[in-house]
Amino acid sequence: MRFLLKRLGFYAVAFLVAATFNFMIPRMLPGNPADIMLANSGGMIAPEAREALMATFGFIDAPLHEQFFAYLGSIFTWDFGLSIKFYPMPVADVLVQALPWTLFLTGSALLIAFSSGTLLGILAAWRRGRLTDVIASPTALALQSVPAVVVALCGLYFLAVRNRVFPTSYAFDPKLDPALSWEFLSSVAYHGFLPVVTLSVVLVGGYLITMRNNMIGQLGEDYLAMAEAKGLSDARVRYAYAARNALLPSVTALALSFGALFGGSLITEVVFNYPGVGNLLYLGIVGRDFPLIQGQLLIMTLAMLLANLAVDLAYVFLDPRLKRA
Amino acid sequence: MSDLLRTFLRNRKAAIGLAIVLAYVAIALAAPLIAPFDPIARVGRPHQAPSAEHWLGTTRMGRDVFSQLIWGTRTSLMVGIVAGLIVTAIGTFIGITAAYFGGLVDDVLNFFTNVVLVLPQLPLLLVLAAFLGQVGPWAIALIIGLTSWAWGARVTRAQAMSLKTRDFIQASAMIGEPTWRMILVEMLPNLLSIIGFNFIGSVIFTIITEATLEFLGLGSPLALSWGTMLYNAQTASAIMVGAWWEVLAPCAAIVLIGVGLSLMNFGVDEIANPRMRTLGTVAKALRIEKRLTRQRMQEASQ
Repeated sequence: MRFLLKRLGFYAVAFLVAATFNFMIPRMLPGNPADIMLANSGGMIAPEAREALMATFGFIDAPLHEQFFAYLGSIFTWDFGLSIKFYPMPVADVLVQALPWTLFLTGSALLIAFSSGTLLGILAAWRRGRLTDVIASPTALALQSVPAVVVALCGLYFLAVRNRVFPTSYAFDPKLDPALSWEFLSSVAYHGFLPVVTLSVVLVGGYLITMRNNMIGQLGEDYLAMAEAKGLSDARVRYAYAARNALLPSVTALALSFGALFGGSLITEVVFNYPGVGNLLYLGIVGRDFPLIQGQLLIMTLAMLLANLAVDLAYVFLDPRLKRA
Repeated sequence: MSDLLRTFLRNRKAAIGLAIVLAYVAIALAAPLIAPFDPIARVGRPHQAPSAEHWLGTTRMGRDVFSQLIWGTRTSLMVGIVAGLIVTAIGTFIGITAAYFGGLVDDVLNFFTNVVLVLPQLPLLLVLAAFLGQVGPWAIALIIGLTSWAWGARVTRAQAMSLKTRDFIQASAMIGEPTWRMILVEMLPNLLSIIGFNFIGSVIFTIITEATLEFLGLGSPLALSWGTMLYNAQTASAIMVGAWWEVLAPCAAIVLIGVGLSLMNFGVDEIANPRMRTLGTVAKALRIEKRLTRQRMQEASQ
């Protein structure tokens, strides 16, 4: 419990730091985002909206610390102002529409990559130098250094353009209306296949290598020799003993990989024109939609911290020593 | 030092990795000599498929893809190395300082490192690059270098902490060696493998991230780099018109240098952690022994 409280405090401070950063970026740089936006909008925004725009960035006529508190307040009221690109939709609404798609994409990819990577890592370490290891480990190593943009572009070219196996864009057939029907859900799965596979391929190598290294760290330990000497089955020693202990550092590595997950999802969404928050951030940046960018960054930070918190919870569950402490 | 190099080269993975990386360095250095065309001149018809004259085809602007690839190697390697140096310098400094001084210094630095680690990095980089306007390769190297040190600081700190408890370090402290000597002479050489690991990993990360930022159109479109090649291919809808060479050429270049650098890192890891090396040998020896026993049993039963 104390461990969790400590972590919660840490995340609160981390969020404050991120929010401050987000607040400072437009202020540190020359020019005023609101004026740039007005100039770029080509008459899309009425000049009267300038006041509101300024307020969105916390550019209210007040000392810096008051601006900062007003800005922090907007996090809790979920009021990020109006989007320029999707004018006159509020930023919060635009984000809420995109969020489920990103959660679906990152969630499925994480599940696939972590479970298969960890399992293969266990087997590769257990059968060192055998076929599993000889094939899986170098492949994982290579995959680890392949950027998401390369995987996505290759997937798009080979499986969607050259051979029209999968669609090139969107999350579902635009002719369909979202509904809980078989037709709609299968369309979602069909359109989501390439993005999910892309993201899984990007992530799987790292998990495999981490787990393999952790397992190798366990292999020489006495308790494993003891378990084997007791005559326990090979599988039992491997999964219930060695892997159980090797999993802990792997879970820590999982938390560190969320950055890669978010970054990878961003690129994947852009390449496959998938309507998630990553693609939204990209559109916002291209269209100089500053309210969208700012709101987006806060949501992403929040998501990142929540994901880390979830890993902490998993850690408490996996390591009983923390519960007692 | 030459011992270290020999151990490194005896490792097959490391040797192959080093060969790949050295080939890239050679290409980067000799770019003006080996590039057959001016990379930004119109030298052919648009979207020409690979041929004897244009080995990797041409872009929509009629520029030679092969020449662009060679010149791009220069930019990507330079950005990777510069950012890698910045990342390693900051990470090593923070990591060793935190571990050596401990106490409040460690608490503050470690907390700061952990905060940076949980921030969504790529989105932040994107936003920073967007606010700065279309930035050149050097600015990209600087941005990546200044924002990506946290992981290195964390591993260096962990390693330095365990080093601090060793007898020889404690002994040197007791003799009363000055702090600078403790850090530079006693600790730093023993952290070389983790520092090298961090540097190589950062170079990979930077090359990937630079290409990603430029692909998204956040870099300067005038730069000659793999990322800009991808960006130009994307804006020219190269994939949709079937000009695969424009996309696959920079992709292959990025993947190969990434593989070369990771192979080197694998070598560094195996040197630093002898267990990674010997366990394979031990397992092999066990298997051979098992087989021999089986043979002997068969022979005995015959």
